[in-house]
Amino acid sequence: MVSNAFIGLGKAQARALGHPGLPLAVIPHPFGSRTRNEVRALADKCVGEIVKLAAAK
Amino acid sequence: MSAVPATPLTRAMLVEAPDDLDELIEFFHARRWSDGLPVVPPTRERVERMLSCTPRKPDELIAKVAPGFGAATVERIAINAVMAGCRADYLPVLIAAVQAMAAPEFNLQGIQATTNPVAVWLVVNGPIAEQLGVNGGMNCLGQGTVANATLGRALRLILQNLGGALPGEMDRATQGMPGKFSFCCAENEAQSPWEALHVERGFKRDQSTVTVIGAAGTHNMNTHAKDADDLIRVIADTMAFPTSNDYWISGEPWIIMSPEHAEVMHAGGLSKADVKRRLWEASKMSAGRMAKMELARTQTARSEELGTITTDTLLPVSRGPEGIGILVAGGPGTHSVYVASFGDARSVTREVL
Repeated sequence: MVSNAFIGLGKAQARALGHPGLPLAVIPHPFGSRTRNEVRALADKCVGEIVKLAAAK
Repeated sequence: MSAVPATPLTRAMLVEAPDDLDELIEFFHARRWSDGLPVVPPTRERVERMLSCTPRKPDELIAKVAPGFGAATVERIAINAVMAGCRADYLPVLIAAVQAMAAPEFNLQGIQATTNPVAVWLVVNGPIAEQLGVNGGMNCLGQGTVANATLGRALRLILQNLGGALPGEMDRATQGMPGKFSFCCAENEAQSPWEALHVERGFKRDQSTVTVIGAAGTHNMNTHAKDADDLIRVIADTMAFPTSNDYWISGEPWIIMSPEHAEVMHAGGLSKADVKRRLWEASKMSAGRMAKMELARTQTARSEELGTITTDTLLPVSRGPEGIGILVAGGPGTHSVYVASFGDARSVTREVL
C-alpha cells in the first residue's frame, strides 16, 4: 500500500525484493494536511481495493 | 575498453566507454552512475590497484545495500571508490563503512528512502585517520581534504549505485542536503580532553574504526561561553526545537564539539558522560511547543517510554543521556555543531581491518 507520491519507490522496492509484478494499492497523497475525518473518508474509498489485493492469490 | 563480460558472474562487467573525456563524463551522467559531478573512470587497472590494498577476494560479499539490495562486493565497492576519486588505500575504510551501514539498528532502509534530508555521516577514528589524512581539524566538514571529500563521496555512490537510492526514485528526500554529496571527517583525538569515540565504544586507542551516523543536518553554534554551565545551557537550548525528529521519535543527536568548547567543559570538571547527562536534562522540551500533529505522533511513538504525554510533558531528546553523541572535531574557534538525527536510526561503529 503506497500513497501516489511513492508509487515509484513501491515499484522499485518490489522489483528489488524479487516481486516485480506485486500489485500495489495506491492511496492519494498527502495525509499530513488532512483532517481525521478526511483521512477516514479516504480510508472508506480505498478499503475495497486493499481487501481485494490482500485476499488475492 | 571492450565489451567483455568478466567471469564468474559475480564479478563486475567490463563496458565499452568513450575515450573522449567530455563524452565519457556524459556517459556516466546518462546512466545515472554519478552524483552529478564528473567521476574518475573506473578502468580495470585502477580497480585492480585498489583491490591490491585488501586481502579480501574481489567477489566477497560485504553486504546487500538497502533499499535496492544490490550486492556490495569488495570489487563493486572498489569501483565506486575509484569513481569518487579515492586513493587505493582508502578501500578498507569503505568496506568497514558498508558493514556498519548494513547493521539492522542503522535502519538504512529508512535512511535511504525517507523524505527526510538525512545523510550518512562517516567518522574515522584511530591511527588510520592520520595515515590516510582524514581531517578532524580546521574545516573538517568543508572542502579541500582529499580523504574527507572522496571517502564521503564514495559512500554516496555506493548508496546510490549499489543501494539503488536514485534521487526522485527510491531516494524520496524532499530537499536532501549538501552532506549527501560527502559527509566525512575524523575526530580530533589529539586535542580532545576525553576518550575518543571508538574508545568510548569499547575499542582500543590503537584500533581504527569507522562510525556511520544518520545525520539530518549541521547547525552552527557560536558561543564565547567560558563557563561549563553557561555552555551547557546554550547548547541544550539549541538542541530543543519542535520540528526535530529526535523529540517525537526519541533519537540520537550529536554534538560536534570544538576543542575550545571541549576544554571549557573539561575545565569545569565534566567528563564526556557528564556532558551528555547535563545536556540530556537541560534539553528537555515541552511537548506543547510541537504542532498538534507532531504531539499526536509523539503520543503514539513515546507513550510506552514516557507514560501519558500532554502539552506539559517535558520530552527528552533521546531515551537516555547515552543517546547523545559527542565528537570533538574542528580547529581553533568558538564554533560547535549540532547534528540533529534522522531519529529512527542508531549509529554503528566497525573496526577497519
